[in-house]
This record gives sequence, structure tokens and C-alpha cells, in this order.
Amino acid sequence: MIQIQTWRDPRQDAAPSGRAGAGSDLIGARISMRNVTKKYGAFVATDRISLDIEPGEFITLLGPSGSGKTTLLNLLAGFQDIDEGEILIDGKPITHVPTHRRGFGMVFQSYALFPNMTVAQNVAFPMRMAGVDWATSDRRVAETLEMMRLSEHARKLPSEMSGGQQQRVAIARAIVMRPRVVLMDEPLSALDRRLRESIQIELRDLHRTIGSTILFVTHDQSEALTMSDRIAVMDQGHIIQMDRPLEIYRHPKSRFVAGFVGESNLIQADVLERRGDLVTLRSPSGHVFHADSRNVPASGTVTVLIRPERMALHETPVPGTAPATVTSALFMGETLRIGAVMEGGETLLIRCPDTAANHLPEPGSRIHVGWGPQDCWVLA
Amino acid sequence: MTSAPLAAHPAPARRSRLKSPALLLVPAVVFLAVIYVLPLIDLARVSVGTDPWWSHIARVFSVPLYWESLVRTMKIALTVACLCVLFGYPTALMIQRSKGSVQALIATAVILPYFIAILIRTYAWMVLLGRNGPINKTAIWLGIYDEPLGLLFNRGSVLLGMTAVLMPLMVLSIYSSLSRLDQNLVRAALASGAGPLAVFWRVLLPLTLPGVGAGFLLVFVSALGFFITPTLLGGPGDQMFAMHITQQADSITGEGFLQALAVVLLVITLVVVGVAGRLMGFEFIWGGGKLADTAPAATKLRRVSAGPPRRSLAMVAADAVGWPILRLIGRLPSGTGTWAVRILGGLVICTLILPILVVIVISFSKASYLTFPPPGWSLQWYEKFFSDSNWMTAFWNSLGIAALSAAIAVTLGATAALGIVRSEIRYKSALMLLLVSPMIVPPVVLGLSLYSLFLKLNLVGTVFGLAAAHAIGGIPIVVVIVAASLQAVDRRLEQGAAVHGASPLTVFRTVTLPAIAPGLAAAVFFAFLHSFDELVLSLFLSSPRLKTLPLMLWADVNYQLNPVLAVVSTLEVLLVVGGIFLARPVLGRSRGAH
Repeated sequence: MIQIQTWRDPRQDAAPSGRAGAGSDLIGARISMRNVTKKYGAFVATDRISLDIEPGEFITLLGPSGSGKTTLLNLLAGFQDIDEGEILIDGKPITHVPTHRRGFGMVFQSYALFPNMTVAQNVAFPMRMAGVDWATSDRRVAETLEMMRLSEHARKLPSEMSGGQQQRVAIARAIVMRPRVVLMDEPLSALDRRLRESIQIELRDLHRTIGSTILFVTHDQSEALTMSDRIAVMDQGHIIQMDRPLEIYRHPKSRFVAGFVGESNLIQADVLERRGDLVTLRSPSGHVFHADSRNVPASGTVTVLIRPERMALHETPVPGTAPATVTSALFMGETLRIGAVMEGGETLLIRCPDTAANHLPEPGSRIHVGWGPQDCWVLA
Repeated sequence: MTSAPLAAHPAPARRSRLKSPALLLVPAVVFLAVIYVLPLIDLARVSVGTDPWWSHIARVFSVPLYWESLVRTMKIALTVACLCVLFGYPTALMIQRSKGSVQALIATAVILPYFIAILIRTYAWMVLLGRNGPINKTAIWLGIYDEPLGLLFNRGSVLLGMTAVLMPLMVLSIYSSLSRLDQNLVRAALASGAGPLAVFWRVLLPLTLPGVGAGFLLVFVSALGFFITPTLLGGPGDQMFAMHITQQADSITGEGFLQALAVVLLVITLVVVGVAGRLMGFEFIWGGGKLADTAPAATKLRRVSAGPPRRSLAMVAADAVGWPILRLIGRLPSGTGTWAVRILGGLVICTLILPILVVIVISFSKASYLTFPPPGWSLQWYEKFFSDSNWMTAFWNSLGIAALSAAIAVTLGATAALGIVRSEIRYKSALMLLLVSPMIVPPVVLGLSLYSLFLKLNLVGTVFGLAAAHAIGGIPIVVVIVAASLQAVDRRLEQGAAVHGASPLTVFRTVTLPAIAPGLAAAVFFAFLHSFDELVLSLFLSSPRLKTLPLMLWADVNYQLNPVLAVVSTLEVLLVVGGIFLARPVLGRSRGAH
């Protein structure tokens, strides 16, 4: 039997509240997965997934529904049994440790607050389960509620609170033990956009304060980009790419990642010439442009990714631009979103800031689109 | 309607009142008032029609025979309710935790007996516990004892039989409250470091307490008025209160005392239900279907604001008493809890299904008396049943009465359900309470009260009389099922149809009716079954000329236990299995009543 102390021991924890920043003495756990496989009948939910998460990292599992991200989280939490492979926490396998002895914190999409307990009782629950004495428990609950700005709600029942407040209580419950790992299963998707954005920032700050390793599941790519240290993009039971948000966005490994994270223009182009760092490409309409030569084979056809905000819009022909016909033009607030089609049939999406220079073109009008070599990313 | 616009102008208020859905409640309310409320009032009037008015009532409480029987009845009902909680909770947990076809199988094993007549299930226990029954035979074969034991006609067999008969009520009540829980609550508790026992003690139990309470009350109240099972399984020392009423009815003693007995039973039942209803809301009677009424919301709010201090007190108590014990039990091997649930649940499933299986086997027996295993196989008892004109007449009588009764109950019940769900009237809860209250009135009391009414109206021993009497119990079933189906209909679909130009009647025909059709079909079936199985009212209201199937069974069970009864039981099981199969889509959503 594995003792709770293996991963946490709040009884020894006498550290004052408000511990600050990177110097925290509480460091998250290292999580390693080795060929983790889970099958439901013939359906393979996670297929030989291996990954390493550094202590204290904020990792987001991002993918469409059915990609296996929630399954991976459930396996880590111990709600389901692994079919093959193993999960290691700080090098120790946890396959045979039941959920309640893993000592993680967890936040659910549906909040999952105990409706029969007050906010304070909910947050105190993990403390009670660990057998922490009342004095320590009360102090820690008060601290945590303070940190989540919930102090004045301590005696309320969950049903008396708004969704955003309830989710903050759920987060408080998950972190009250200062667990080494916190799991979050789409915790923000039930909230409206404004609230979601404010809690995103709150979570980010919280992560810096408590230093736990956080595994965050979401299908919202912008959420993943803003919050994570690294993102693992999942599809059909595989991790397609795991990297820093900037890398994922700028240098996706595949069409899937490019399409799932952010908006993209994918253009098929023939390789004409490769010289040094640059490669010369030609689109179906005959538009010749240059790109960074990384990933590019010496000849043949490649797919080029150009993010909509990297496209420059001109009303008159400029050298290096290609003509296109506007199919749609939307005013989105801070940006203009313009759909266009090139002569060879390539459809383009262009986003440009709403400045005095840019004005919304009429559908059917003619524009000229250009981009530089550094705006192109050739998909492997 | 087409020429209405101009003509409608002078009296718009009156027109709209005539169109109010609340009017749909009128037929059912009038029906119940005449045939159910008035006779009960009359019963009460007769019971106090002496000088001084309390002399009969006083006699009930002063004659040891009745007083002791009342105490005994309370004790038995309480014991049965406790047993049902003890064994029902693990069973409900087992259903909730199993998946797919296993879950369907276990759930069916619980639901199936729920819809089989109490008389038949009690008879099955008589077979199972009999001198030559399977239990005695097995024990002798295993060498546990040499001579068959008298397992029947004692307190133990009464408790066992009643617990088995009422168990499904408890399991379904707890299960419905378990299944409404967010499964992530259990996961959240686990992730917070709570072991399986702590999850049960701190999360599952507190949150399903309303379901347990509802089940406990339903079982307790039903057990109070129980008559069939204790009569057949009990000995002389196990007389329950309801039995005196029928016995007194056989030998007509002084007018008024009999009614006093019934009134005492009724008042006790109503007080229990009333107190429980004040505490937890009357929804428990029909399984928690919330009505669009302002009253329940108000009580809920009040409870919430009054809640926290009391709750934390309960929590301190739970911490102080329960938690140390749980920590001790927590040292047991990790699978213990799971196995305890499986063993207790498995035991319950066995006691629910085994008697029925034994009876089915017995019906193919060659022997002319009850013995198990049968010495040989034959269809002779089926032949006997189908060729005996008495049995066949009773069968057709039951069929006719049940069809008529179902027609009455569904017509009145479905319109009333529409009125309840779709109208905006005040006192909705009170009306719903009136409509479902026949579920909790002891049938013996109802039978006695109807008897004098039927004598006056010359309805005793008539098909229509019996059908109408059975419909009293059928209406609550129909109202509950149809109301649940109606509440599941998306109002926006109806509004959508109306916006696109459908008249109210067209909306009902094209949108509402198809949506509630499965519920309606289930209601028809269960109202039919209720009447087909009804025994107690028939005992009071039938005559020797009009025998129903349960009456024939009752006479035979008391007179001689022969395998023809097993044949009838087997046919009933077939009927119920077929019905459940057809009604499957609705069963998940609503809980019918027996």
C-alpha cells in the first residue's frame, strides 16, 4: 500500500501564505508516459502515447472530441485502467495506485462541487480526507479562498453562486493540498467568453504561485495558446505535435495541426529552384514566391502555410503580389476578414488590422495579395 | 372557428376561460370526487355516527386484539422498510455501477417483479418455502437437516415475503436518485483523496438521502396497509391491521366499528404521508417529477438559506462518529466494498427472481401437488387451465374489466395530466396530490368505503363497477407517466408549429401526441395491468356471479395449492415481460406505480 506521503504531506507544510514566484519550494511532479494505450473494444482511444512533462510545467492537451485527450487525463487520474504501457510520476509507476491515493488535484467542466457542502466545506474536503487536523485545515482553506478571492462566499452553498464563482471554488478545492499535479478537464468551456478569459489569466498566475504541474484539457485552441508552457496537439489517439505555443502556431508539423490551431491558408506549390536558405515556389495560378527552405525537398509539390494575418493587401499591383478577386469581406472589430480567390482557384483568407489605410473592399472587386519568404512555412 | 374573429369580440374573457387547459382536469377530479373522496368521507362519518362519537374509535385502541395488532403492524412495516433500505441500497448501487447489457439485465430483474401481481409473488414464496419446496429439498439434500422445516406461517416468512414484494419500490427510488447525480462528483471526491467508503459516506449517501427517504416512506406506507402477503405467509401471531378489516367484513359486526378500524388505518397513513410531505415535499409519492409551480421553488429556497448551520452540524457528527469507523473499515482490502455491494445486491436479485423461476418450472410439473424439483414434465396443468370453464370465464371477465378500466383511467388520467402540466392554475400541487393520492390509501380502506356506495348504486358485482373501482388506482399511474412524458416535450417545438400557422388542435395532433405516444402506450398497459391484477377491491366489490382471475387465484391459494396457480402465474409473467419489452423506451424516464 502506498502512503499519501509519497506525493504530498500537508502536515509538514508550515510555509506561510502568498509564497511568491519561481523561488517556490513546492515544485510539481515530473510526469512520464510510456506507450500508454487504452482501447474501448475495437476503438483505440490512446495509441502508444509517450510523453515527458517537466516538473511545474503547464501542459495543454488540445484536440477535437474523440482525439483521446480526456481519456489520457482519466488514465492519469486513475478513473480508467491502462491497457498497455505505464505512467510514471517522478519515476515511480502509478498504475496500481488507486485514484484517491494519487494525491492529485482535479477540476471538472461541470464543476462537480458537492451540493450538500458549503464553499468552505468543499474546499476543506481533500484536507478532511487526508486526515489533516482542523486547525491546519481551517488555515489552509482560508488561505486558498483568499487566493481565489472567495473569502466572502465561504459559507454559501454552490447552488447560490454563479458559474464562474463555482469554477473558482472547484479550482480552490483542487489546489488546497498544494498537489504536485493538477488535472483540468475543460474547466472553462461552460463559461462565457469574458469570464473565460479572466479565469485564464487567473489560472496562469496561480500556476506561477503554486508551482504544480498542470495538465489542462481543452478543445479551444486560443485557450491552449494563451495558457500553456507547451501544447500537445492530439488526433485519433496520437500526439501529433508537442511544443511551445509559438512553435505550434508558426511551425506546425502537419496540415492537421495547422488547421486545428489558428486559421490558415494552405497553398499547393511546385518547387522551382532551391538556393541556400531560400526556395522558389510556384502556385497553381502561376504566382512565383520565395520561402524558407527548411523542410523543402529539391523538387515536386509542397504545401505552404501562410497565416491570414501574414498576408498583405494592396489595392494596386505591387511587384511580388498576385491578383485575386474578393469573395467576402467582413468587419470583425479590430480586424478585417477578407475572403478571396486567385486566378488558379486558390482560396485565400486575409486578416488585416482595421487601420485608416485598410478599408473594406467590395465583394467582386480586385485586390493584390503578397507575402514574404518569412511568412511562409512549408509543411513537411 | 373560421367565423370566430368577429363573433369572439363581445366575450373574449369567457372564451379564453373555456379554452383554458385547466378545464381538462374537471373530468378526473369529478370522477375521483364521486367515487373516491366522497366514499372516504362517508366512511369517516359512519365511524363516528354513534353517541358519544368516539366510542368505536376508543374500542379500537382499548381492545387488546386490535391495539396489539396495530403495534405489530407498525413494527412489521418499520422492519420491512429498514430491510428494504439495507438491501436496496447496494442493489441500486450495483445497477448504477454496471454497464451495458449487464445493467439492463439487473435492472430488468428488479423491474419485472415490480409489475407482477403481489398475489402471484406471494404465492411464489409459498411454493419456495413450502414443505416440499426447493429450499427444504436443497437443505435436506445438502444434509443441513433431515426433516423438512416449517418455513412458512411465521414472522420470518412474513418479513421475507413483504420485503421481497416491496423491494423494487425501494431500489427504483434509490436508483433514480443515484442516477440523477453528476458522476463527476464521485470522481471529484476520489481525486480529492476520498476512498470508496468515504465517497459513499460523504458524497453518495448525503446526496441520495432524499431518494432513500422517499423509498422508505413508500415502503412503510404500503406495508402498513398490507393484506395479501401477511394473510398467506403469516401464522396466527402475525395478524396485521388490514386483515381485521376484511375478517370483520366477512362477519358483519356492528355497523360503524368496521369503519372505525378503516379510519384508524387511513388516518395513520395520511399522518405519516403528511408529515413526510411537509419535510421533503410531496413529490416523493410520484417519484420526484417536479411541477411548474411556484410553491416547491419557494420551499427549496427557504431550505437552502436555513441549511448551512444544520448541515455543518450533521457534518461534525459524521466526522466524529462515522469517520473513525470508516477509517478502520478502510484498512480492509480494497475490493471489500465492491464485493459487499455485489453480494448483497446479488442476494436481492436472487430473492426477486428465484421465486418466479421456481413457479414457472412448477407449472410444467407432472405431479398433482407442489413439489420441487418436479418428478416429471407435462402440460397437463395448462390443459386443465384452458379447458376449465370456471378459469376461462374468470380470465375473460378480468380481461374485459381491465380493458374497460384502462379506458376510463387513460381517458381521465391523460386529460388530467395535460391540464396539470399545461395550465397555469393555482393549487396545482394540491390537485396533483389529489390525483396521485389513491396510490397511498390502503386498498382495504378504499374497498370498504366503496362497498357501501356500490350497494346504494347497485354496482356490486357489475363489470362497470369493478372497472370504475380499479380505475381509481389506475388514474395515478396514468397521470404520473403521461405528465412525465409531457414535461419531456420541448415547448419550443409546439411554439414553432404554432408560429408556422398550426391551430392548437393541429399542434397537439402533429407535435404533442407523437411525442407522448410511447408514454401513453405505457400508461395504457400499466393501467390495464393494475386492473388485471387487482384483488383487494375486487374482494369487497365482486359477487359470486362475477369472478375475476385474481379472485379465483385467491380462493385457490387459500384452499389448495395446485400447479394451476403456477400456470396462471407463468402467463402473467409472460404478459408483463411482453409489456415491459414494449414499454422499454418509457420505463427509463418514469416510474409507474403498482
